[in-house]
Amino acid sequence: MNTQLLTNRPGVRRSSGGAVNPFRAQYRRRLLRADLLTVLFWASLAGAIALWLADGGAAGFSTPAGSFTALGIVAGLAGMDLVLLMLLLAARIPLIDQTVGHDRALEFHRKLGKPALYLLLAHGILIAIGYGMAEGLDPVSESVALWVLVPDMWLAYISMLLFIAVVVTSLVAVRRRFPYEFWYAVHLLTYAAVLTSLPHQFSVGGLFAEGTWQRWYWLALCIATGAALLYYRVVQPLVATFRHQLTVKRVVRVAPGVVSIEMSGLRLDELAGSGGRFFIWRFLAPGLWWHPHPFSLSAEPVRFDAAGQGTLRITVRNLGRGSSQLASLKPGTKVAVEGPYGLFSTAARSRNHVVMVGAGIGITPVRALLESTPFQPGNATVILRGHSESELYLGEEILDLCRRRGATLFHLTGSRPAGIRTWLPEHAARAGHRLASYHPNITDADVYVCGPSAWAHNVLEDARAAGVREDQIHYERFDW
Amino acid sequence: MRTRAAVSAALASAGILIAGWQSGLHVADTGSSVASAAAGSTGSSGSSGTSGSAGASGSSGSSSSSSAGGTTGASAKAVGTYAGSVVQTRFGSVQVQITVQAGKITDVTALQLTDAERKSVQISNRAAPLLRTEVLAAQSADVQTISGATVTSDAYLNSLQAALDAANL
Repeated sequence: MNTQLLTNRPGVRRSSGGAVNPFRAQYRRRLLRADLLTVLFWASLAGAIALWLADGGAAGFSTPAGSFTALGIVAGLAGMDLVLLMLLLAARIPLIDQTVGHDRALEFHRKLGKPALYLLLAHGILIAIGYGMAEGLDPVSESVALWVLVPDMWLAYISMLLFIAVVVTSLVAVRRRFPYEFWYAVHLLTYAAVLTSLPHQFSVGGLFAEGTWQRWYWLALCIATGAALLYYRVVQPLVATFRHQLTVKRVVRVAPGVVSIEMSGLRLDELAGSGGRFFIWRFLAPGLWWHPHPFSLSAEPVRFDAAGQGTLRITVRNLGRGSSQLASLKPGTKVAVEGPYGLFSTAARSRNHVVMVGAGIGITPVRALLESTPFQPGNATVILRGHSESELYLGEEILDLCRRRGATLFHLTGSRPAGIRTWLPEHAARAGHRLASYHPNITDADVYVCGPSAWAHNVLEDARAAGVREDQIHYERFDW
Repeated sequence: MRTRAAVSAALASAGILIAGWQSGLHVADTGSSVASAAAGSTGSSGSSGTSGSAGASGSSGSSSSSSAGGTTGASAKAVGTYAGSVVQTRFGSVQVQITVQAGKITDVTALQLTDAERKSVQISNRAAPLLRTEVLAAQSADVQTISGATVTSDAYLNSLQAALDAANL
């Protein structure tokens, strides 16, 4: 099914046939920020090691025992630096979120987990060997001696155990066996692990002795990380919650198992342009309040509806324990909110053309993005994928938006062909269609993809094969 | 653009590491000269000046605290506490005291430890308990020094030896 209606939308910036790209500047700025973050990442690691070099640490390599100790210290510094960077990546800092997106930041966070743990383990083992050699003890006796005799060291041992517990429970294989809440509770121990590791860094490690500039640098790094976490993960959400005063207005059934939740609140104009981005919602009702739900807006925020209130809307499918209760939310329920997060928005645009591909409940952020992102009539394509027409949620609204804005709309329904890796339904795959078949100028387009991860990866593969560059692809993970 | 990030990151990191290394060379130079100077001063003061007087005060202290055991001499088994000499180092003075019962060292307490800078205090805090355990195990001053705390260890063991001499052990 192909519906294309050409109606000019007022207010679209002048540009003809891709000659002027209004997104070029923001695209370059985003790349610059991404490069800056990369540089900061490596510079902070180099800085941690430079602290030790500047203290004359390299002289330790003159003896075998000193070499072990020196390597142990370097491993500890790099490991702690990685831990702090991991915390910053998970702190939902706007600079990071608006540059790589929350999901990519968390993906990177996860990738750093094991290297950080290995460095910390190496730190403990190498130091035990190094000190042991210098004192004529085997590493085990040395470890016991450190534990028993040196102040603050017992805390460091506890910290090590906590770090091991946190990383092990985050391994995919282990994580699947336990409920989310268990993983979350163990993950909170990270803070305990970091805090118990701090005393020995400042008291036993001669590098951070009082009166050294290294101590100030390290303290500043730790405090800044803590402050960022506190501000962006505690203060900011509280401020947003009190500022917007969201309450559930009504819950509308969209399709079997799918509901739209409309919320009214104050100062929602401040959230303009966040259609498609996600917020973390907590519905303050008995049995629900402690459960955070990450859901995207399924429409641009409305500043004033007919009743003069601002409204927000999310569209949710009954996916699990938490989501099923949402269908029975009472109007008037207060809502705590954190966000917006993610790059599924105009802020990620880099080209004149735009292709939006959504499947299942992943259609809803596409609906919101389609509403607000600027494009010339004919330069946008929307592809909706589902098993049947009834699974193309908000399909009517999307059809209407495509008509008004001059976007090409495709409904691709039916099941996938067996045995072929494709994101298309059987008939389209057999006909030899690819992503590029639906939008001829795809190499000059931003491609937004939202849906189940296995399906989405097939779309991304197709896009890359068509010559779409990595920085034109905007994929919102659902299952992080 | 990825190359821009990679190149800048590599340059920045290399710059930081080289800057750290360069200032570290300077520290290492002064550090080693300090260490050798400290070792020299420890040796001289230990042999000639301080140890004699401190030894005397140590023995007088012991005789006052334990009149019977301390003064009866080498034949009887020494009982009591004996303070070692005060050993001067670049980082402060070190003096230890031993407790002897039935001819065995039962405890070593540090009366003074290197404390010239906060860093020295931290080093002392790490080294002192380790040295104490080693000494109690070896029952002599013939033990390994603590890595990263060489000056403190040497001074500690010198003072200890003076205390052992005072106790005729």
